[in-house]
Amino acid sequence: MHSFGHRANAVATFAVTILAAICFAASFSDNFNTPTPTASVKILNLNWFQKEANGNDEVSMTLNISADLSSLFTWNTKQVFVFVAAEYETPQNALNQVSLWDGIIPAKEHAKFLIHTTNKYRFIDQGSNLKGKEFNLTMHWHIMPKTGKMFADKIVMTGYRLPELYR
Amino acid sequence: MDWLGQKRAEMLMQVLLVASAVVAFLVGYVRADFQLMLLVYAGGVVLTALVTVPNWPFYNRNPLKWLDAAEAERHPRPQVSAAPAAGGKKRSGKNK
Repeated sequence: MHSFGHRANAVATFAVTILAAICFAASFSDNFNTPTPTASVKILNLNWFQKEANGNDEVSMTLNISADLSSLFTWNTKQVFVFVAAEYETPQNALNQVSLWDGIIPAKEHAKFLIHTTNKYRFIDQGSNLKGKEFNLTMHWHIMPKTGKMFADKIVMTGYRLPELYR
Repeated sequence: MDWLGQKRAEMLMQVLLVASAVVAFLVGYVRADFQLMLLVYAGGVVLTALVTVPNWPFYNRNPLKWLDAAEAERHPRPQVSAAPAAGGKKRSGKNK
């Protein structure tokens, strides 16, 4: 039997198989992109620093976040999720991560930005470890592709320190 | 569609689809446009379907030559029920 329907079915199934193959090829082509992202975060002001009633330390600060992530974008990139986290060490945990700000970059044209903001999410320690604490501000990003594997990377910025006294 | 036409249709389908996929990927990659790749490929699939799915005259150039009905009457099928099975086999052997 070699009817109209049989041939139509053969074209449809083979076309979808090949579509999977070109999506795989598009995803594979991402490996040839070598991104050179830059980022810097400045703490413009420490708005307040206090101990809450339950004993946890909380900080509020004003940040100046600038980055150029346009080299992360390839033809197979749907969007990039980016967040800035404060990372520090305490006696209980080798690594504490507190997300301070995040954003979604929908296109390459928006990948170079400068943002002036107070911390979007509250910077609270689980305890009272923040006095005089040295911490890193790390910019993390997740590249969400149109097809294939998701990539994640980060830039670590060191040398930030909280004051010895509440204010 | 005759036998050679079927073979041709099958071949054309595979070649056209693979070729349109290669063209679509190259165009998409060079222009850095994922949507363009999908559109070019979709165009290739539609073209392939138009060329290989309908029964075009192009696929019927080698029609099968069936025996004339009169020829079949001159050589009737051996009646299996009339003779024992073993005898039937011997007879067919002699005819060859």
